[in-house]
Amino acid sequence: MTRKTLSLNRITKIFPGVVALDDVSMSFQEGEVHALLGENGAGKSTLIKIVSGALEPDSGTIEFGDGNAYSRLTPHLAKSLGVETIYQEFNLIGCLSAAENIFLGERFGRFVDLKAMERKAQAIFQELGIEIDPKADVDTLPSSKQQFVEIAKAVSRNARILIMDEPTAPLSVAEVDRLFELIGRLKGKGITIVYISHRMEELFAITDRVSVMRDGKYIATRDTRSASRAELINLMVGRELKEQFPVRSVRPGEVALELRALCGNGDVDVSLSVRKGEILGMAGLVGSGRTELARLVYGADRADSGVILVKGIERRVDSPARAIEYGIGLIPEDRKQQGCVLGISIRENISLSSLRRLSRLLVIDGKREKALAAKFYERLRIRSPSIERPVESLSGGNQQKVVIAKTLASNSEVLVFDEPTRGIDVGAKQEIYALMNELASQGHAILMISSEMEELIGMSDRIVVMNEGRLSGELARNEFDQRVIMELASASQTTGAANVVNSQSGQV
Amino acid sequence: MSSIVNRGRYSVSGSLGGVVKKYTMLFVLLGLCAFFAVISNSFLTAENFLNLATQNTYILVAAVGLSFIMMGGAMDLSVGYQISATGVLTAILMVKLQANPVLAMASGMGLCILLGALNGVLSVKLKVHPIMITIATMIVFQGVSYLLSSGNSFYPFPDSFRLITRGNVLGIRVDFIIAIVSVAIASFVYNKTYYGRYVKAMGGNVEASRLAGINVDFMRVTTFMISGFFVAIATFILISRQGTMNSTIGPGTEFVCMTGAMLGGIGMGTSGNGKVWGLVTGIFIIAIIANGMQLAGWNQYIQYVIKGAVLILAIGFDQAQKTRKAKPTKAVA
Repeated sequence: MTRKTLSLNRITKIFPGVVALDDVSMSFQEGEVHALLGENGAGKSTLIKIVSGALEPDSGTIEFGDGNAYSRLTPHLAKSLGVETIYQEFNLIGCLSAAENIFLGERFGRFVDLKAMERKAQAIFQELGIEIDPKADVDTLPSSKQQFVEIAKAVSRNARILIMDEPTAPLSVAEVDRLFELIGRLKGKGITIVYISHRMEELFAITDRVSVMRDGKYIATRDTRSASRAELINLMVGRELKEQFPVRSVRPGEVALELRALCGNGDVDVSLSVRKGEILGMAGLVGSGRTELARLVYGADRADSGVILVKGIERRVDSPARAIEYGIGLIPEDRKQQGCVLGISIRENISLSSLRRLSRLLVIDGKREKALAAKFYERLRIRSPSIERPVESLSGGNQQKVVIAKTLASNSEVLVFDEPTRGIDVGAKQEIYALMNELASQGHAILMISSEMEELIGMSDRIVVMNEGRLSGELARNEFDQRVIMELASASQTTGAANVVNSQSGQV
Repeated sequence: MSSIVNRGRYSVSGSLGGVVKKYTMLFVLLGLCAFFAVISNSFLTAENFLNLATQNTYILVAAVGLSFIMMGGAMDLSVGYQISATGVLTAILMVKLQANPVLAMASGMGLCILLGALNGVLSVKLKVHPIMITIATMIVFQGVSYLLSSGNSFYPFPDSFRLITRGNVLGIRVDFIIAIVSVAIASFVYNKTYYGRYVKAMGGNVEASRLAGINVDFMRVTTFMISGFFVAIATFILISRQGTMNSTIGPGTEFVCMTGAMLGGIGMGTSGNGKVWGLVTGIFIIAIIANGMQLAGWNQYIQYVIKGAVLILAIGFDQAQKTRKAKPTKAVA
């Protein structure tokens, strides 16, 4: 088990203005799950791009288990050396079957022998303990199974080193367990897994060793078993992080948002309320209807029936514009597709929802716009050389701050955060948490949808759980328990769960 | 001209390199002028430049209209037949029915805005990309134009109508003034009004714009209607200059406008970065290529090939800029 399969020797990579990798040396062993940990911008992505041949290092060598060292790789060469990468966005062709995807680029006879191909795919699935129909079109499979197809594809090409970039991001809790089982099996086959994730608990669940990077430098490698969470975070951020979740004295005020038997978009009879100054956490699996609910509340999709009350007044929220008018703001799940307009400036993004208010007739009052944007730019401590820079030049955390700034600038009092910290680094997460706390204590009502258990438990005053489009339970702060939440989120909706729903709506 | 020489020498320095990149099309325009000045004696004359300007006023006005659609991330291939139908209606009213030119123009403009609205409403209601819709409506508008004209030509127009391209105010031709005012209006709308900002945001990201509270369906329809307004004005300039109108006049304009807009950085998915001066530069690049080649005595068929090649270069250039922009951000993160 101690055979090295990959060593990086003194790799340096410089981009104009940034040293992305600074003299990094690291080694990976056969059959280990080796985590790369670091904030965004620490150099993880650059490193995996160099190993997979997408980028050439400026100096240093990449040495493989057979003793050959390379000063640079091409994607083709890297693959032939057994390096396979599974990115967050899958490289699959939706209209082709699982088997066709796995063997894309390989020949099966003079004409395609689909039968043989499917048999071979089936054999790989069996070997990996995956249940997928090789004939199924990939776009009919859930994202977890698509990921398995990716993994099977890598295995079929005799991968020796499998790089996985945030593999659990699109998965639900149950699916993560299945992925971990699969990773265990791959490990047994002697495959080295380079595992990148921001979710700390996962590292402890499946990795053998953790290497920490910071600001393009290699910091340290630890055995996961003997490492502590605090130690890893300290290594990663280079500073003490005393308290991950700031404490807030809760004094919830009057009800700011109330939903009565809201139906639509796949959700059924959702009733809940959020008070001023309160953070209501919303747990549930991916696909349980949380985002759909957020979109109903925000008017992005229309409800079939049910009532939305904002500060006690019934409101017809039939468009996002209406929602904003009534003081409801949404920080959407996908900040790049839904949250901001990447090509225009930070200023233009922040003011986007407030422009009418800042205009006389059609003309924007430039001074007021600048002042408003600058106010939130500073208040949220958005880090950029200038407020006139396009949002696409910002890191994920700062982009998220721009989206929040836009929502706050439009005077929203009820804030719906959909996965507020997805894909952003630890430091920026802390800032977002601090900000959410600050907003709550200023009297904003916050509905926070999250798939991160720690975040839910750390941030929420109450937690409601969604399951198959219905609320399956509600927990007060003293009842918070990871296992209970998981159970409520994943139990199939039968009579028991229905009772909970009934008592819930009765209560409201 | 000196700027072109400077480019090579200073391109190392960051800020100047950025300026060069930002104004590439301006340099291309100047480069083309230099090139044609060398190969043709009659190119660099006041007369030729006046000619260039007068020939392109209507294109500029139509391109301003189309820019609203393209800046918002859509496309309209039917502009040419909008001109055809609008022109025929206006001409018939003036020539056959002896209507007051103002009334005729008002009717023509009404029709053109209506055609634009139809494009907009169809793409919003059917949720189909405007390219597809306007390919279909292009054929419909062609039919409308021929139904109105029955294949006839209409002339002569009243003298008062022809003042658009013959009259002048303070020594400047009326259609010049119209073109300049159109460009100025567009520039004002994009830079100073929330409507313009909404259009740019929508072109950058429709879904994010919708979630920011912008009524993107309404915006989409109105951009098509605004385009119709400008296209109608362009039609009046065109037929006033030609002195006659039939259904074959108009088609092809959409491609000149599109090419110009793309050269100027207003394309589909340029994420709201287009500028009106870029559009003007783009239109004149196309105009100068045609004009220069004509003066140099190159035949018309070669001109088609070169114009098409320029469009490919423009699109390629646009794409290259986008990927160059995307790469470093990804790599550092």
